[in-house]
Amino acid sequence: MINTKDQEDLFKLISEYLDRDLSCIAIGGTAMMFSNYKTTTKDIDLVFESEKERESFILAIKQIGYKECLLETVYDKWRLNHTEKPLMFTRGDERFDLFVKTVFGYKLDFNQDKIIQRIDFLGKKNLSIFILSKEDLILLKSITGREKDFEDIKTILDLEKFVDWELIIKNAVKQKETNSWILIDLEETLQKLKDSFSLDTGLFELIYTSQD
Amino acid sequence: MDNFFMLFEEGKYTAELFARKYNLKFQSALNRLSKLKKQGLVTVTGGGKQKRIYTLTNKPQEKTNGFYDVVNKYSKEKLVPKFQHRVIGRYTVEHAIIDGILIGDARTLEATMYLFNHVKNWKRLFDLAKERNVVEEVRALYFKTRKTMKCRRMPKRYVE
Repeated sequence: MINTKDQEDLFKLISEYLDRDLSCIAIGGTAMMFSNYKTTTKDIDLVFESEKERESFILAIKQIGYKECLLETVYDKWRLNHTEKPLMFTRGDERFDLFVKTVFGYKLDFNQDKIIQRIDFLGKKNLSIFILSKEDLILLKSITGREKDFEDIKTILDLEKFVDWELIIKNAVKQKETNSWILIDLEETLQKLKDSFSLDTGLFELIYTSQD
Repeated sequence: MDNFFMLFEEGKYTAELFARKYNLKFQSALNRLSKLKKQGLVTVTGGGKQKRIYTLTNKPQEKTNGFYDVVNKYSKEKLVPKFQHRVIGRYTVEHAIIDGILIGDARTLEATMYLFNHVKNWKRLFDLAKERNVVEEVRALYFKTRKTMKCRRMPKRYVE
Protein backbone atom coordinates (compact mmCIF):
# COMPACT_ATOMS: atom_id res chain seq x y z
CA MET A 1 0.00 0.00 0.00
CA ILE A 2 1.13 3.53 -0.73
CA ASN A 3 -0.39 6.74 0.61
CA THR A 4 -0.78 10.12 -1.07
CA LYS A 5 2.37 11.67 0.40
CA ASP A 6 4.54 8.62 -0.39
CA GLN A 7 3.14 8.51 -3.89
CA GLU A 8 4.05 12.15 -4.52
CA ASP A 9 7.53 11.61 -3.08
CA LEU A 10 7.96 8.53 -5.26
CA PHE A 11 7.02 10.41 -8.45
CA LYS A 12 9.37 13.24 -7.48
CA LEU A 13 12.14 10.68 -7.01
CA ILE A 14 11.40 9.06 -10.37
CA SER A 15 11.53 12.46 -12.08
CA GLU A 16 15.14 12.74 -10.87
CA TYR A 17 16.01 9.52 -12.72
CA LEU A 18 14.23 10.21 -16.01
CA ASP A 19 16.28 10.78 -19.14
CA ARG A 20 13.59 12.85 -20.88
CA ASP A 21 10.44 14.81 -20.11
CA LEU A 22 7.47 12.47 -19.87
CA SER A 23 3.73 12.78 -19.60
CA CYS A 24 1.25 10.06 -18.79
CA ILE A 25 -2.33 9.58 -17.67
CA ALA A 26 -2.99 8.19 -14.21
CA ILE A 27 -5.96 5.89 -13.93
CA GLY A 28 -7.38 3.73 -11.16
CA GLY A 29 -6.31 4.20 -7.56
CA THR A 30 -3.60 6.72 -8.39
CA ALA A 31 -6.04 9.01 -10.15
CA MET A 32 -8.47 8.60 -7.27
CA MET A 33 -5.78 9.63 -4.82
CA PHE A 34 -4.86 12.71 -6.81
CA SER A 35 -8.57 13.57 -6.99
CA ASN A 36 -8.87 13.02 -3.22
CA TYR A 37 -11.37 10.17 -3.43
CA LYS A 38 -9.12 7.93 -1.33
CA THR A 39 -5.86 8.03 0.54
CA THR A 40 -4.11 4.75 -0.24
CA THR A 41 -3.67 2.44 -3.20
CA LYS A 42 -2.00 -0.86 -3.90
CA ASP A 43 -1.06 -0.29 -7.51
CA ILE A 44 -0.07 2.74 -9.54
CA ASP A 45 -1.69 2.57 -12.98
CA LEU A 46 -0.18 4.77 -15.65
CA VAL A 47 -0.88 5.03 -19.38
CA PHE A 48 1.80 6.35 -21.73
CA GLU A 49 1.34 7.78 -25.19
CA SER A 50 4.06 5.67 -26.79
CA GLU A 51 6.16 2.60 -26.16
CA LYS A 52 9.27 4.81 -26.09
CA GLU A 53 7.88 6.88 -23.23
CA ARG A 54 7.04 3.74 -21.27
CA GLU A 55 10.57 2.44 -21.84
CA SER A 56 12.05 5.66 -20.47
CA PHE A 57 9.86 5.38 -17.38
CA ILE A 58 10.80 1.72 -16.91
CA LEU A 59 14.48 2.62 -17.16
CA ALA A 60 14.01 5.13 -14.34
CA ILE A 61 12.08 2.82 -12.01
CA LYS A 62 14.54 -0.02 -12.59
CA GLN A 63 17.29 2.27 -11.33
CA ILE A 64 15.46 2.65 -8.04
CA GLY A 65 14.96 -1.07 -7.61
CA TYR A 66 11.65 -1.99 -9.27
CA LYS A 67 11.58 -5.40 -10.91
CA GLU A 68 9.21 -6.76 -13.54
CA CYS A 69 6.66 -9.27 -12.23
CA LEU A 70 4.03 -11.61 -13.66
CA LEU A 71 0.47 -10.55 -14.36
CA GLU A 72 -1.06 -13.94 -13.48
CA THR A 73 -1.77 -13.11 -9.84
CA VAL A 74 -3.75 -9.98 -10.66
CA TYR A 75 -5.63 -10.32 -13.94
CA ASP A 76 -8.02 -12.96 -15.26
CA LYS A 77 -7.36 -15.21 -18.27
CA TRP A 78 -9.10 -12.96 -20.79
CA ARG A 79 -7.02 -9.97 -19.76
CA LEU A 80 -3.82 -12.03 -19.66
CA ASN A 81 -4.33 -12.97 -23.30
CA HIS A 82 -5.17 -9.41 -24.33
CA THR A 83 -2.70 -7.76 -26.70
CA GLU A 84 -2.84 -4.47 -24.81
CA LYS A 85 -2.07 -5.77 -21.35
CA PRO A 86 0.23 -3.78 -19.05
CA LEU A 87 3.76 -4.41 -17.89
CA MET A 88 3.98 -4.77 -14.12
CA PHE A 89 6.84 -3.71 -11.91
CA THR A 90 7.05 -4.15 -8.18
CA ARG A 91 9.21 -3.26 -5.22
CA GLY A 92 7.96 -4.35 -1.81
CA ASP A 93 4.27 -3.53 -1.49
CA GLU A 94 4.14 -1.01 -4.31
CA ARG A 95 3.33 -1.95 -7.85
CA PHE A 96 3.30 -0.12 -11.18
CA ASP A 97 0.92 -1.23 -13.96
CA LEU A 98 2.19 0.46 -17.09
CA PHE A 99 -0.01 0.63 -20.20
CA VAL A 100 0.58 2.18 -23.61
CA LYS A 101 -2.26 4.17 -25.25
CA THR A 102 -5.01 1.75 -24.28
CA VAL A 103 -6.24 -0.11 -21.22
CA PHE A 104 -7.38 -3.52 -22.42
CA GLY A 105 -8.72 -2.01 -25.63
CA TYR A 106 -10.07 1.21 -24.07
CA LYS A 107 -8.29 3.98 -25.97
CA LEU A 108 -7.31 6.97 -23.87
CA ASP A 109 -7.38 10.48 -25.27
CA PHE A 110 -4.23 12.50 -24.53
CA ASN A 111 -5.90 15.73 -25.61
CA GLN A 112 -5.38 18.45 -22.97
CA ASP A 113 -9.09 19.34 -23.18
CA LYS A 114 -10.00 16.00 -21.64
CA ILE A 115 -7.96 16.36 -18.47
CA ILE A 116 -9.24 17.93 -15.29
CA GLN A 117 -6.01 17.98 -13.36
CA ARG A 118 -2.31 18.05 -14.13
CA ILE A 119 0.44 17.39 -11.64
CA ASP A 120 4.00 18.22 -12.65
CA PHE A 121 6.95 16.70 -10.86
CA LEU A 122 9.94 18.86 -11.66
CA GLY A 123 13.12 16.93 -11.01
CA LYS A 124 16.05 16.45 -13.36
CA LYS A 125 13.34 16.06 -15.99
CA ASN A 126 9.66 16.86 -15.93
CA LEU A 127 7.12 14.13 -15.21
CA SER A 128 3.57 15.33 -15.94
CA ILE A 129 0.68 13.25 -14.73
CA PHE A 130 -2.77 13.91 -16.16
CA ILE A 131 -5.97 13.04 -14.34
CA LEU A 132 -9.19 12.31 -16.20
CA SER A 133 -12.72 13.25 -15.22
CA LYS A 134 -14.73 11.19 -12.71
CA GLU A 135 -16.85 9.85 -15.58
CA ASP A 136 -13.76 8.47 -17.32
CA LEU A 137 -12.51 6.99 -14.05
CA ILE A 138 -15.83 5.22 -13.47
CA LEU A 139 -15.89 3.82 -17.00
CA LEU A 140 -12.33 2.56 -16.71
CA LYS A 141 -13.09 1.00 -13.34
CA SER A 142 -16.08 -0.76 -14.90
CA ILE A 143 -13.99 -2.56 -17.48
CA THR A 144 -10.89 -3.65 -15.57
CA GLY A 145 -12.81 -6.34 -13.70
CA ARG A 146 -10.71 -6.37 -10.55
CA GLU A 147 -12.15 -7.00 -7.11
CA LYS A 148 -11.56 -3.58 -5.63
CA ASP A 149 -12.72 -1.58 -8.63
CA PHE A 150 -16.39 -1.85 -7.84
CA GLU A 151 -15.73 -0.56 -4.32
CA ASP A 152 -13.83 2.36 -5.82
CA ILE A 153 -16.78 3.25 -8.07
CA LYS A 154 -19.01 3.27 -5.00
CA THR A 155 -16.55 5.57 -3.21
CA ILE A 156 -16.70 8.05 -6.09
CA LEU A 157 -20.49 7.94 -6.17
CA ASP A 158 -20.71 8.44 -2.41
CA LEU A 159 -18.72 11.66 -2.71
CA GLU A 160 -20.06 13.09 -5.94
CA LYS A 161 -23.45 14.73 -6.15
CA PHE A 162 -23.66 14.61 -9.93
CA VAL A 163 -22.28 12.00 -12.28
CA ASP A 164 -23.09 12.26 -15.98
CA TRP A 165 -24.06 8.65 -16.71
CA GLU A 166 -25.18 9.48 -20.25
CA LEU A 167 -21.69 10.76 -20.98
CA ILE A 168 -20.22 7.55 -19.57
CA ILE A 169 -22.45 5.47 -21.85
CA LYS A 170 -21.64 7.69 -24.86
CA ASN A 171 -17.92 7.27 -24.18
CA ALA A 172 -18.40 3.52 -23.89
CA VAL A 173 -20.28 3.43 -27.21
CA LYS A 174 -17.41 5.29 -28.89
CA GLN A 175 -15.05 2.54 -27.73
CA LYS A 176 -17.15 -0.47 -28.61
CA GLU A 177 -15.37 -1.07 -31.94
CA THR A 178 -12.07 -1.74 -30.18
CA ASN A 179 -13.55 -3.18 -27.02
CA SER A 180 -16.55 -5.36 -27.78
CA TRP A 181 -17.26 -6.18 -24.10
CA ILE A 182 -17.32 -2.61 -22.88
CA LEU A 183 -21.10 -2.13 -22.91
CA ILE A 184 -21.67 -5.52 -21.32
CA ASP A 185 -19.19 -4.75 -18.53
CA LEU A 186 -20.74 -1.31 -18.01
CA GLU A 187 -24.25 -2.73 -17.89
CA GLU A 188 -23.14 -5.29 -15.31
CA THR A 189 -21.70 -2.51 -13.14
CA LEU A 190 -24.84 -0.39 -13.49
CA GLN A 191 -27.00 -3.37 -12.50
CA LYS A 192 -24.99 -3.74 -9.30
CA LEU A 193 -25.27 -0.02 -8.58
CA LYS A 194 -28.86 0.64 -9.54
CA ASP A 195 -30.46 -0.07 -6.16
CA SER A 196 -27.91 1.70 -3.96
CA PHE A 197 -27.74 4.81 -6.12
CA SER A 198 -31.24 4.77 -7.66
CA LEU A 199 -30.10 4.94 -11.27
CA ASP A 200 -32.58 5.83 -13.98
CA THR A 201 -33.90 2.84 -15.96
CA GLY A 202 -33.52 4.94 -19.12
CA LEU A 203 -29.75 4.43 -18.83
CA PHE A 204 -30.17 0.69 -19.36
CA GLU A 205 -32.36 1.29 -22.42
CA LEU A 206 -29.65 3.57 -23.78
CA ILE A 207 -27.09 0.78 -23.34
CA TYR A 208 -29.35 -1.87 -24.94
CA THR A 209 -30.15 0.31 -27.97
CA SER A 210 -26.46 1.20 -28.38
CA GLN A 211 -25.46 -2.45 -28.21
CA ASP A 212 -27.64 -3.36 -31.24
CA MET B 1 -12.76 10.28 5.98
CA ASP B 2 -14.63 10.93 9.19
CA ASN B 3 -18.37 10.27 8.88
CA PHE B 4 -19.06 13.20 11.16
CA PHE B 5 -17.87 15.54 8.44
CA MET B 6 -19.82 13.82 5.71
CA LEU B 7 -23.11 14.90 7.28
CA PHE B 8 -22.85 18.37 5.81
CA GLU B 9 -24.27 19.22 2.45
CA GLU B 10 -21.92 20.63 -0.18
CA GLY B 11 -22.40 24.24 -1.16
CA LYS B 12 -21.85 27.83 -0.10
CA TYR B 13 -22.72 29.05 3.39
CA THR B 14 -22.32 32.04 5.62
CA ALA B 15 -21.60 31.26 9.27
CA GLU B 16 -25.16 32.29 10.26
CA LEU B 17 -26.73 30.13 7.57
CA PHE B 18 -24.57 27.18 8.53
CA ALA B 19 -25.56 27.58 12.20
CA ARG B 20 -29.25 27.84 11.30
CA LYS B 21 -29.21 24.89 8.91
CA TYR B 22 -27.49 22.51 11.32
CA ASN B 23 -29.13 23.87 14.44
CA LEU B 24 -25.93 25.06 16.07
CA LYS B 25 -25.02 28.08 18.15
CA PHE B 26 -23.09 30.68 16.19
CA GLN B 27 -19.80 29.97 18.01
CA SER B 28 -20.25 26.20 17.57
CA ALA B 29 -20.82 26.74 13.86
CA LEU B 30 -17.59 28.72 13.61
CA ASN B 31 -15.71 25.99 15.48
CA ARG B 32 -17.17 23.32 13.22
CA LEU B 33 -16.28 25.30 10.08
CA SER B 34 -12.78 25.81 11.39
CA LYS B 35 -12.33 22.05 11.91
CA LEU B 36 -13.64 21.38 8.42
CA LYS B 37 -11.24 23.97 7.04
CA LYS B 38 -8.32 22.20 8.70
CA GLN B 39 -9.41 19.01 6.95
CA GLY B 40 -9.39 20.80 3.61
CA LEU B 41 -13.14 20.45 3.22
CA VAL B 42 -13.88 24.16 3.41
CA THR B 43 -12.51 27.10 1.46
CA VAL B 44 -13.20 30.63 2.64
CA THR B 45 -13.56 33.80 0.65
CA GLY B 46 -14.09 37.29 2.01
CA GLY B 47 -13.13 38.56 5.43
CA GLY B 48 -12.52 42.06 6.72
CA LYS B 49 -15.30 44.29 5.43
CA GLN B 50 -16.68 41.52 3.29
CA LYS B 51 -18.80 38.80 4.79
CA ARG B 52 -17.05 35.44 4.85
CA ILE B 53 -18.47 32.81 2.53
CA TYR B 54 -17.62 29.20 3.31
CA THR B 55 -17.62 26.69 0.46
CA LEU B 56 -18.09 23.13 1.70
CA THR B 57 -16.98 20.13 -0.35
CA ASN B 58 -17.20 16.39 0.26
CA LYS B 59 -13.56 15.75 -0.50
CA PRO B 60 -10.47 17.71 0.44
CA GLN B 61 -9.44 20.36 -2.07
CA GLU B 62 -5.74 20.48 -2.83
CA LYS B 63 -4.26 23.94 -3.27
CA THR B 64 -2.99 24.56 -6.76
CA ASN B 65 0.35 26.24 -7.48
CA GLY B 66 0.77 25.82 -11.21
CA PHE B 67 0.26 27.74 -14.43
CA TYR B 68 -3.05 29.41 -13.59
CA ASP B 69 -1.81 30.63 -10.22
CA VAL B 70 1.29 32.21 -11.79
CA VAL B 71 -0.65 33.78 -14.65
CA ASN B 72 -3.41 35.13 -12.46
CA LYS B 73 -0.83 36.59 -10.10
CA TYR B 74 0.98 38.63 -12.76
CA SER B 75 -1.46 39.12 -15.60
CA LYS B 76 -4.17 41.74 -15.95
CA GLU B 77 -6.17 39.25 -18.02
CA LYS B 78 -7.35 36.70 -15.47
CA LEU B 79 -7.99 33.14 -16.59
CA VAL B 80 -10.48 30.56 -15.42
CA PRO B 81 -8.50 27.32 -15.00
CA LYS B 82 -9.21 24.70 -17.64
CA PHE B 83 -7.71 22.11 -15.32
CA GLN B 84 -6.25 22.03 -11.82
CA HIS B 85 -2.51 22.36 -12.06
CA ARG B 86 -0.26 21.33 -9.18
CA VAL B 87 3.48 21.29 -9.26
CA ILE B 88 5.89 19.45 -7.02
CA GLY B 89 9.23 21.15 -7.51
CA ARG B 90 10.22 24.67 -8.52
CA TYR B 91 7.75 26.13 -11.02
CA THR B 92 8.83 29.49 -12.38
CA VAL B 93 7.49 32.23 -14.65
CA GLU B 94 9.62 30.72 -17.42
CA HIS B 95 7.83 27.38 -17.04
CA ALA B 96 4.49 29.22 -17.10
CA ILE B 97 5.32 31.00 -20.39
CA ILE B 98 6.06 27.65 -22.03
CA ASP B 99 2.85 26.13 -20.63
CA GLY B 100 0.85 29.14 -21.82
CA ILE B 101 2.19 28.70 -25.35
CA LEU B 102 1.49 24.97 -25.26
CA ILE B 103 -2.10 25.52 -24.09
CA GLY B 104 -2.23 27.92 -26.96
CA ASP B 105 -5.70 29.50 -27.10
CA ALA B 106 -6.04 33.25 -27.67
CA ARG B 107 -7.02 34.20 -24.12
CA THR B 108 -4.26 32.15 -22.57
CA LEU B 109 -1.67 33.62 -24.92
CA GLU B 110 -2.83 37.14 -24.14
CA ALA B 111 -2.53 36.50 -20.42
CA THR B 112 0.85 34.84 -20.90
CA MET B 113 2.21 38.00 -22.55
CA TYR B 114 2.22 39.75 -19.18
CA LEU B 115 4.68 37.18 -17.84
CA PHE B 116 7.56 38.43 -20.01
CA ASN B 117 7.90 41.36 -17.62
CA HIS B 118 8.73 38.92 -14.83
CA VAL B 119 11.25 36.69 -16.58
CA LYS B 120 14.37 36.42 -14.46
CA ASN B 121 16.25 33.76 -16.34
CA TRP B 122 16.11 34.03 -20.14
CA LYS B 123 18.45 31.07 -20.52
CA ARG B 124 16.02 28.86 -18.60
CA LEU B 125 13.16 30.11 -20.77
CA PHE B 126 14.96 29.23 -23.99
CA ASP B 127 16.26 25.91 -22.65
CA LEU B 128 12.70 24.93 -21.80
CA ALA B 129 11.48 26.23 -25.17
CA LYS B 130 14.10 24.15 -26.95
CA GLU B 131 13.06 21.02 -25.06
CA ARG B 132 9.45 21.54 -26.07
CA ASN B 133 10.20 22.75 -29.61
CA VAL B 134 8.53 26.12 -29.14
CA VAL B 135 11.49 28.51 -29.54
CA GLU B 136 9.93 30.34 -32.47
CA GLU B 137 6.59 30.63 -30.68
CA VAL B 138 8.30 32.15 -27.62
CA ARG B 139 10.04 34.73 -29.83
CA ALA B 140 6.85 35.53 -31.72
CA LEU B 141 4.89 36.03 -28.51
CA TYR B 142 7.68 38.19 -27.08
CA PHE B 143 7.72 40.49 -30.14
CA LYS B 144 3.93 40.74 -30.01
CA THR B 145 4.19 41.67 -26.34
CA ARG B 146 6.79 44.37 -27.11
CA LYS B 147 4.40 45.90 -29.64
CA THR B 148 1.38 45.95 -27.36
CA MET B 149 2.76 46.74 -23.91
CA LYS B 150 5.75 47.96 -21.99
CA CYS B 151 7.98 44.96 -21.59
CA ARG B 152 11.42 44.03 -20.34
CA ARG B 153 14.02 43.73 -23.12
CA MET B 154 15.23 40.27 -24.06
CA PRO B 155 19.05 39.80 -24.24
CA LYS B 156 20.25 40.20 -27.81
CA ARG B 157 21.67 36.67 -28.06
CA TYR B 158 18.16 35.23 -27.82
CA VAL B 159 16.56 37.58 -30.32
CA GLU B 160 17.71 35.70 -33.42
